[in-house]
Amino acid sequence: MSEILFYLGALMIVIGGICDLFGALGLLKFPNFYVRLHAATVGTIGGAVVPLFGVGFLALGADFLPHKYAIAGASFVTGIIVLLAAPAGAHALAYAAHKARIVKWQPKVDHLAEVREK
Amino acid sequence: MLESAFMTLMKFVIPLYLLAFIIYGIRAFKGPTIVDIILAVDCLSFDIAAFMAILAVYFKSVFLISGAIILALWAYLLDIYIAKHLVSKEVGV
Repeated sequence: MSEILFYLGALMIVIGGICDLFGALGLLKFPNFYVRLHAATVGTIGGAVVPLFGVGFLALGADFLPHKYAIAGASFVTGIIVLLAAPAGAHALAYAAHKARIVKWQPKVDHLAEVREK
Repeated sequence: MLESAFMTLMKFVIPLYLLAFIIYGIRAFKGPTIVDIILAVDCLSFDIAAFMAILAVYFKSVFLISGAIILALWAYLLDIYIAKHLVSKEVGV
């Protein structure tokens, strides 16, 4: 049972590292702030939440850790905090960038500007 | 047995995370607008929190985890403050 938890956590940590690298490459290469938000979602949810839950499972299954329950519980709490805080923060940042008009772009459809002009 | 498997895993995982940190740092230094810089610092903080949780297992220490929780909360606070300042040109209630 502990080996299953350990190898599940190790798989989640590897998936998190790969998602983290791809999110960073997208954040560097994409042309626009609103397109970069998409890569930032890959970098935070796939690159921080998944390895945090993976560390929790790995610490529950590991037999060489002296404080494994403390590490697992705090990792789950940090994962839930990032899962709730990252979309709210990115959404507030996108709304502020649209409201302050600091990013130049030519959209096909802009429902927020149509609503604000009424 | 499991400890040696974990050390082998770390040899593959640590270069991935360090490369991602360097690329986020490049975007944070050369970002054209302020929201790009804040987004890059945000991603960097969340990923350093995840990496500190991995290092807590690597060094067998509990004290790195409390720093990870505070780092995740600080990145959210930075987002909200910058958004509030950009919308209303002040930070406060």
